[in-house]
Amino acid sequence: MSRDTRSSVGRRDFLKAAGGAAATASVAGCLGGDDGSEGEEQPDEFEVSITQGQMPSGLDPHDHRETPTDVVMLHAYEGVLSRNADGQVIEKLATEYERVEDGQVRFSIREDVQFHNGDDLTPEDVAYSINRIVQEDVGFASPQRDQLAGVTGAEAADGERAVVVTSDGLNPVVFQEFATYCDVMQQSWVEDRSKDEIGKQMNGTGPFVLDDYTEDEEVVMSRNEDYWRDPAEVSQLTFTAAEEASTRVNQLLNEETDIVVNVPPQEVNRVEDSDAARIAAAPSTRIIYNAMRYDVEPFSSQQFRQAMNYAIDLESIVSNVLGGFGEQTGQPTLEGFVGHNPDVEPYPYDPEEAERLVEESGHAGAEIELHTPVGRYLKDLEIAQAVAGYIDELSNVSASVNQRDFGALVDELLTGNIEDKPPWYLIGWGEATFDGGLVITALLTTDGALSSYSDEEIDEMMEQAGSQAAEEREQTIQEVNGMLHERAPWIYLNRQYSVYGASERIDWSARSDERIDAYAISQQ
Amino acid sequence: MSLSRFLLKRALQGLFVIWGVVTVVFGLRFISPGDPANVLLPPDVSESTRQQVVAELGLDQPLYVQYLDYIAGLLVGDMGTSLVTKTEASGRIIGKLPATLELAVAATIVAVVIAIPLGVLSATRRHEPADYGATVFSLAGISTPNFWLGIMLIIVFAVQLNLFPTSRRPVGIDDGVAHLVAFQFGLAWNDLSTWLWHVTLPAITLGTYFTALITRLTRSGMLEELGQGYVRAARAKGLPETLVRYKHALRNTLIPIITVVGLQLGTLIGGAVITEAVFNWPGLGTLIINSIQARDWPVVQGSIIVIGVGFVVLNILVDALYAYVNPQVTYD
Repeated sequence: MSRDTRSSVGRRDFLKAAGGAAATASVAGCLGGDDGSEGEEQPDEFEVSITQGQMPSGLDPHDHRETPTDVVMLHAYEGVLSRNADGQVIEKLATEYERVEDGQVRFSIREDVQFHNGDDLTPEDVAYSINRIVQEDVGFASPQRDQLAGVTGAEAADGERAVVVTSDGLNPVVFQEFATYCDVMQQSWVEDRSKDEIGKQMNGTGPFVLDDYTEDEEVVMSRNEDYWRDPAEVSQLTFTAAEEASTRVNQLLNEETDIVVNVPPQEVNRVEDSDAARIAAAPSTRIIYNAMRYDVEPFSSQQFRQAMNYAIDLESIVSNVLGGFGEQTGQPTLEGFVGHNPDVEPYPYDPEEAERLVEESGHAGAEIELHTPVGRYLKDLEIAQAVAGYIDELSNVSASVNQRDFGALVDELLTGNIEDKPPWYLIGWGEATFDGGLVITALLTTDGALSSYSDEEIDEMMEQAGSQAAEEREQTIQEVNGMLHERAPWIYLNRQYSVYGASERIDWSARSDERIDAYAISQQ
Repeated sequence: MSLSRFLLKRALQGLFVIWGVVTVVFGLRFISPGDPANVLLPPDVSESTRQQVVAELGLDQPLYVQYLDYIAGLLVGDMGTSLVTKTEASGRIIGKLPATLELAVAATIVAVVIAIPLGVLSATRRHEPADYGATVFSLAGISTPNFWLGIMLIIVFAVQLNLFPTSRRPVGIDDGVAHLVAFQFGLAWNDLSTWLWHVTLPAITLGTYFTALITRLTRSGMLEELGQGYVRAARAKGLPETLVRYKHALRNTLIPIITVVGLQLGTLIGGAVITEAVFNWPGLGTLIINSIQARDWPVVQGSIIVIGVGFVVLNILVDALYAYVNPQVTYD
C-alpha cells in the first residue's frame, strides 16, 4: 500500500499556504468577470475539496448509477451535450445537434479537443462510447443502458466530424438523455485496458486530470492546463466522503473542506452562524410523494385520495419540517420539467373538505398506515409523521406511521406485482433528465417500474406522447398532469432541495441537477 | 501440558469458532432485508439487466452451492467481489485493518495510561476526595455513549478551540515508521505528528469507556491485594510503602487486567464502528457502516469474519500470556 508523500503535509498547513496565495491573487482577480473564464492569468494555487456522503464506486464513467460517482466523473469526462446551471440543454463536445429523421439524430463533434493523454478526440470515440453503453457486445452490461432509453447504436458519419445516433422509434427525449448521460471515452484507451484498470484510471476530455485515487478514501485531481476551454481557476480538486452529516458539517466549519452535501435542516443554523461557511441550496430534481394503491380500499376511492390531499397542511410541512428547504407540489411533474402544468396548484389545506370527502367516499372510520423509509430523504420520517398526524386529526380517519428499512421497502416496490406493495407509502424519485413524461411513465402508468396506479386514459395518453414531436408531447403531458392532480393517485408532497454547505473562501452556487461543478468555482 | 500443545489445542478450538462465525455471517445475508441487486441497480432497469446482474453475482445459485463456494473462497483468502466497487472484497478489508488497529491500540494506551494510576490512587486513598473523584469519573465514563462524547470533543476541541482536526486520517503510522526506518527523520516526524494530531480525539473517545472499566478493576484489585497477608507481612518487614504498593500489590493486580486489556482490544476493534463513523476514520468500522448501507454483502461478511478471527487469536494470546505472567496458572 503506497501513499503519496504529499499527503504527509498536514492539510491545514496546506490550506494556510493556499489561503495566503489565494488572498493575494483575489485582489487581482476581483475586477475581472465572475465566471472565472476571462482568460486571465490563473492563480497558481487554489485548492478546493468536496466532501460527499459516499466515495465513487469506481472511476469507469459507464459503470455506475450514483450521483456521488457522477459528481467526480464530470470533472474528467464530458458528454456530447450537457446542461447549464438552469438545467437547459447546451452543447459540450458537440457543436451542433439535430434530428435527421424519426429515430435518427446527428451530432457534429468539436475539433481541437484532446483527451488527457494528449490524443485528439474523434467521432469514432464518441460513437464507441455510445455503443459501449447501449450494446453489450461492445463493452459490458452497462447499468446506464436504460438511461439512454431507446438508443440502439451510433456510428461516425463517413468523412465528416459527425456521429449519427439511431433509436428505435421517434425517441422524443433523446437530447435530454444525452445532456445528462453518456460520457465520452477514448476507444483505444479503453480497449488497451482491463476492466479493473478502467475503474482506477481516468482519461477524459474534462477540465481536471486524475492525480491520485485511493479507493474509499480520496480522489485527487489537478487542473487540465490543455483544456479546450479556458483552464479552471481551481488548481487542485480533492473528493472525500463522510457518511455522517455532522462529520461533514464539522469538517466544513473547521475549514478542512470547501463544499459538503446534504446539510440536514437542524445543522443549517450552525453553518449560517459560522464565519467560515454558508448554506447554498437549490431545488433538486427529486419529488417526494405518498403513493396510494388504486386497487385496495380505502385508496381505491378517488374522493378518499383527494381527501388525503386536502387533509394535510403542506405549506406548514415545508416551512416547519423542512425549514423552508422544499417546494409544495400538486402534480407529479416539477416546475422546469418538460410537461409541467403551470395552471395546477397544490391542494389547499382544508380539513373540513377532507372530512366531507371521506364521508362521501364511504370509508369513514378507515385506519391507514403509512410506510416510510428513515434517513433516505431529507426529513423523510418527520414528513411522514406530519402527514399521518394531520390525517389522524380528521374525525373520521385514523393514521399511523410504519418505519421501514429502505432496502426492504424498495424490494416490495420493485417486484413488479402491485399486490406486494404496501397500500400507502412515502418514497422519492429523482429524474435528472428534467422530463415529466419519464416520471409519469415510471411511476403512474400501469406497467411503470414503480407504479401503484393504473388508469387506461393516462396509459393511452402517455403512449401517444411517446410518438409525438416535442411541442405536442409537452401539451399532452401537461394535460396528463392536470388529470393526475384531479385523480390524486398520490398525496402530493414536496420537491426536495439539495442543501449544501460551502466555504466562504469560494464562490459557487448549487444546481438543480445535484452536480457540483468545480469548473464553475472561483475564489471569493 | 506444554505451551505448544496448549496452543495447538486452542487453535483447533478457534477454527471451530471461526467456522461458526462464517456460517452465521453467511446465513445473516439471507434473513436480512434488501436484495443486493435492488440496491445496486436503480429501480427502472429492465428485468433482463437485473437478471444478468443477479447471475453475475452468483445469487441465482442454490444456497448450498453459494455456501460451499464461499467457504472454498475463504480458504484461499477470497472473500468475493465488492458489489459496489467491483474489486476484491479482501483487498478493501485488509486495506482498512491498519487504521483500525492503530486506533484500537491508541485507545488502549490512552486507557492504560490514565486508568492504572487513577485506580491505584483511588485504592490507596480510599474514601478520600481523590477516590470519590475517580469513582465519579469512571461512572461517567461507563455511562457516556461513544458517539455523543466524540461529537462533543469535536465541537469543543476541533471546531471551537481549533486544536485538532475534526476527522480523517491522512497518514498512517506505517508511513512514519517507514520513513524512520529509511532515516528520513524530517518526513517521519511530519508523519508521526500528523498522525498523532489526528488520532488523539478518536482515541480518547474510544478509550474512555475502557479507561473507566480498568480504573474500577484496578481499584478493586488493589484493595483486595492490599488486604492480603503478604502485603501485611511486607509492611511488617519494614519495606517502604511505595515498594509494597507498586512492586507487590500492583503487580498481582495487573494479572487480571492483562486479560481484560487483551480481550477488550478485540472489543475495541469491533466496537470502533461508531467512533470511526463519527471521526470518518478510514478503518474497518467506517467500511462496515458504508457497506451495510450499500448492501455490499461480501464486504460486510468479510469484515465480520476478520473481526471474529481477531477475537479468537487475541483470546489465545491472552490465555498464553496470562499463564506466562502468573506461574500459578497451568496450561490446561
